[in-house]
Amino acid sequence: MNGWILAATAVLGAGVGATVWGVATGPLRRRVVAQNLSTALACPALLLLAQGYDRPAYVDLALVLALLGPVGTLVFARLLAGELAGDPPRARALTRSAAGLGAGVVLALCVAVGPSRALLKLLVVGVLLVGGNLLASRALSGGMAGARRG
Amino acid sequence: MGEAVIVVALLLVAVSATAAVAVRDPVRQSLVLAVLGVVLAVLFTVLQAPDVALSQLAVGSALTPLLLLLTVRKVKRRGRRRRENEP
Repeated sequence: MNGWILAATAVLGAGVGATVWGVATGPLRRRVVAQNLSTALACPALLLLAQGYDRPAYVDLALVLALLGPVGTLVFARLLAGELAGDPPRARALTRSAAGLGAGVVLALCVAVGPSRALLKLLVVGVLLVGGNLLASRALSGGMAGARRG
Repeated sequence: MGEAVIVVALLLVAVSATAAVAVRDPVRQSLVLAVLGVVLAVLFTVLQAPDVALSQLAVGSALTPLLLLLTVRKVKRRGRRRRENEP
């Protein structure tokens, strides 16, 4: 067991474990935020696992998750807009810290990988992860209010 | 020591699957199901089955919640229309 897998275990146990608890209990606004954070935290864990197992092909998983996770959150934001309009979810600090964690993991992996084609792929994953996460959380906290009437 | 990450992934799957069964409201259930799909994909990755994890991610993270939420919305709308026609 090397340091990368240890870090992935920590992210999975603390981060994803907390989001599982958050999505299983509490009001609806907390649940949608927890669902968004679960994809934002599982993606860095998958990247760390790919580096830990020394299998660059596993980065594809993180790429797919970084692409589809925000899509899933946008589905919830659009179809639950009526329920969420009453008390919109606000979790700016949590979303920013999850995005910061993703960016930090991508930077650490970039340093470990060194300049190559894999570095480019990692950067694409990082941009998709942080950008998609911020976009989805903005849509959750009221950006879809106009779509509700349409 | 190397099995710690497998144990953590298995625990996450067990907890989220139990929560998916225990939650009664279908809307909230679809949220738990989305998280369960992501956690299952992580478990498959840890067990060295990335192709299974890839298809699980594609289906579980966006498609299943979308189908569930569309169904709930249609059922609700039909129930409302029937209630308006009855009296």
